[in-house]
Amino acid sequence: MTRLWREPAPGEREAGERSWQVVRAAFDERVPAPYKRDWRPLVAVAVAIAVLAAAFSPPGLAVLGSIRDAVRGEKNAKPALFSLPAQGRLLVQSERGIWVVQRDGSKRFLGGYRDAVWSPHGLYVAGVHGNELRAFEPSGDVHWSIGRPGRIRNPSWSFDGYRIAYFAGDALRVVNGDGTGDRLLTRAVRPGVAAWQPSSHMLAYVNRAGDIQVVNVDLPKRFAVIRTRLDPVGLDWAPDGRSLVVFGTHTVAMFGARGGQFRRLDRGAAQIVAASISPNGKSVAFVETERGQSSLQLTGVEAGPTHQVLKGAGAFTNVVWAPNGRWLLLDWRTADQWLFIRAPKVKKITPISNIGANFGAGASLVGWCCP
Amino acid sequence: MAGSQRDERAWVRGAQRGSASDLEALFRHHWPRAYRAAYLVVHDSAAAEDIAQEAFLAAVRTLDRFDRRRPFGPWLHRIVVNRAIDWSRARALRRESGESGLATVAAAPQPDNPHTRTLASALAELSPEHRAVIVLRHLLEYTPGEIAELTGLPRGTVNSRLRRGLDQLAERLGEDVR
Repeated sequence: MTRLWREPAPGEREAGERSWQVVRAAFDERVPAPYKRDWRPLVAVAVAIAVLAAAFSPPGLAVLGSIRDAVRGEKNAKPALFSLPAQGRLLVQSERGIWVVQRDGSKRFLGGYRDAVWSPHGLYVAGVHGNELRAFEPSGDVHWSIGRPGRIRNPSWSFDGYRIAYFAGDALRVVNGDGTGDRLLTRAVRPGVAAWQPSSHMLAYVNRAGDIQVVNVDLPKRFAVIRTRLDPVGLDWAPDGRSLVVFGTHTVAMFGARGGQFRRLDRGAAQIVAASISPNGKSVAFVETERGQSSLQLTGVEAGPTHQVLKGAGAFTNVVWAPNGRWLLLDWRTADQWLFIRAPKVKKITPISNIGANFGAGASLVGWCCP
Repeated sequence: MAGSQRDERAWVRGAQRGSASDLEALFRHHWPRAYRAAYLVVHDSAAAEDIAQEAFLAAVRTLDRFDRRRPFGPWLHRIVVNRAIDWSRARALRRESGESGLATVAAAPQPDNPHTRTLASALAELSPEHRAVIVLRHLLEYTPGEIAELTGLPRGTVNSRLRRGLDQLAERLGEDVR
């Protein structure tokens, strides 16, 4: 064998150190299965017989009823959203438009809008109306609009409100916060996923190859490329801008701003459907579904175990943090409920029911912004 | 290879019982070859890291079910090499062309390493399938029969890929790589 085969490859040692941290974290989080004789076949047969016997008895029918109840959500739910438990305002998307909900529970409907998002201080909203991107006040007063061919979607504001990134057809575009200077950033993009780095005009997006590009939109100059096989479906920066959390379909991974991966949570068969970083940047809440069950999980950005906060039947579709970081709001679509959950320790859950009746068909939680 | 099969079995058994130090020993022992194998197939440090890391994560996930009587290395290498081939094929299909307007990546410079200028660059000119077979034979030191078993290829295909790939490598490197 030639000596060439014995040479270390570039980055081998550093990659090993990084990967060991990731593997170690995964090892710490796994629950080791105690060694047992495999009784599973016998148990399965016994359980099947017991279930069949029980299912056709009167108590069995009662049990089936309670399983049905499980997807009806938390008990003692309030019939409507009377107030928020913390400062800020909510944005809610429905099929006919968006709702702006104030802390006291009063709400305003703005028809025809979709893909709405708060400006950094909650003074404005950017949303899509037909083929136009519009910036407007929560009262509905439109400040400016801009039309573009192709389906416009997923606008997002930079930290200072001076830039808005949005997708138009297969292109990623940027416009100034006052509606001027609209320009094409790139067409080499997977539409739908982008995130501004706090305190800068750096934008992270996913290119067509599935890698993450971090670009200064004012130059435009590529700052970093993060090659990953995660197939990202969501990006979120920590508030200090030093960590980028990447959500794949089955994985949550944390990267440094220049691309080094320092943490990775592999969720196996569970599918991640939504995630959100806490306002202090220390925790990530994410929702995953598996075999008709959904769960809300909480973990640290840099380290720490992953805790299951709540589990329920059907679909949890989104989770957002209150601006003060003390509450989580979980959208439990199947139960037609929202749950306000005191975080990080679940000391209190306040369920709100009749979400569809109160906000209209297809109502979904978008964001909770700004005291 | 340093470390006997007995060590390896002990590490696997220890890791199954929850010993992080045994898992670390297993990781440290296998990481260099896993990473190097991935790198020599994909020629991309970040992708190699991802691929080797994923193989270890897969090992952690299935640790409880792993049969300790079987060697750990071939199991790991099979995952690494197959994923590296998949990655190379996918990369070839979705090669980017629309980002030339952007400035150069601000990534850390690659160290001056013989791999970057000799073996890796010569290997890069082969197909991923040829690279994989050569890496399995000469880096990971499997016999052609074992390679056939690991990759699911007929033995004759393994031999012909080895022969053709090594001829091309020798031509480019100006030395016998066998």
